Amino acid sequence: MKTDDLIRMLAADTVRQRALRTTLTLGLLPSLAFVAVAVWLTLGFRADLSTALVTPLSVARIVLTCLLGVVSTRLALVLARPEGAQTARLWPLAALAGIALGLLVWAFISTPADARQMAAVGKTMTTCLIVIPLLSILPVAALHYVLHRGATTAPLRAGFVAGLAGSGLSAAIYALYCSEDSPLFYVTWYGLAIMGVALISTVVSARSLRW
Amino acid sequence: MVAKQVDAWAQLLAAAKAGDTRACAKFLKAVTPVLRGIVRAKGLGLRDACCQDVLQDVLLAVHLKRQRWDSEAPIRLFLYAIARHKVVDAFRARGHKIDVPTDDFVDVLAANAGTDPTEAAGITKRIRMPNARLAIIFRKIGLEVASVAKTGGALMISQGAVCAALHRALKTLAILTERHVT
Repeated sequence: MKTDDLIRMLAADTVRQRALRTTLTLGLLPSLAFVAVAVWLTLGFRADLSTALVTPLSVARIVLTCLLGVVSTRLALVLARPEGAQTARLWPLAALAGIALGLLVWAFISTPADARQMAAVGKTMTTCLIVIPLLSILPVAALHYVLHRGATTAPLRAGFVAGLAGSGLSAAIYALYCSEDSPLFYVTWYGLAIMGVALISTVVSARSLRW
Repeated sequence: MVAKQVDAWAQLLAAAKAGDTRACAKFLKAVTPVLRGIVRAKGLGLRDACCQDVLQDVLLAVHLKRQRWDSEAPIRLFLYAIARHKVVDAFRARGHKIDVPTDDFVDVLAANAGTDPTEAAGITKRIRMPNARLAIIFRKIGLEVASVAKTGGALMISQGAVCAALHRALKTLAILTERHVT
């Protein structure tokens, strides 16, 4: 086909696509609402939620995971554009990881030696490792859909931040149920769950985010 | 590359995003020489027909993803990012590994078509894939320079249906291109 003919055909295609931000809002918000309802109905929010929300160590979980979710979502939107691969800055993620690790070290130091193991393993380690990834499925899928509608030239990075975003936000909601307040527990296990989801998301995006 | 030229591109693409068919065609025609230059520069030694194939793949991608250009963002970055991504892909599919560093396109010289080589085989072959009605739409709009309205009349379907079918077909074309189906 002659290039001029192709151009003529392309120009005739005037179907417009929805803006990515709109697609994101329409996909992510209902997913997160679903996650919140699911946690509330199956696990229930913790009984002392109102106290926990004003306890620094406890609310730090929610704040950090929320921050991770929001920062990663914004990064995903940047990476969804072709030039995003050059302009996206990943250092906020490193900063958040640094803060989390700092908390972990502080908790390790300030917990008496004989209480450390119990604080780290807690009672809900397995629940945490299973439930957070399960809850992440819808939010991560919503983000993948947005990226798919986009035009990312960095599919792996995009998949990675999508995984971080979905699982971060889901972990924040999960924290409304979880009553393990020691960073020794939550930095370890929430962190592991989040990284696991991010890894799977990256692997999936290698194939799914081609265009 | 002259700044005025780049500004003109930005204006045309903005109009094209808003649905202006003529601006869309003008935009694609305006960026074709530069894109052709990029493809030729990266595809040293490849046959002209192959370079034309890759160029058409890039044009298809630029068109389908035009809504992803943010009017505030520099259009050159947008265009070159797509071109780079697609060129690497396209050449790899044809068995040639190429390396395209990020700042490479700064001084690209626009390339003219010269004598049009034998019709690019890539897109033509993939167009045979979809059904008969789509083949008619392609032929009428692409080759016979019919309008969407006339094409709709010929097929006895609405203009909207023609547009929808064309859009779907172009997306399928892009998918077939990406999967390197020839």
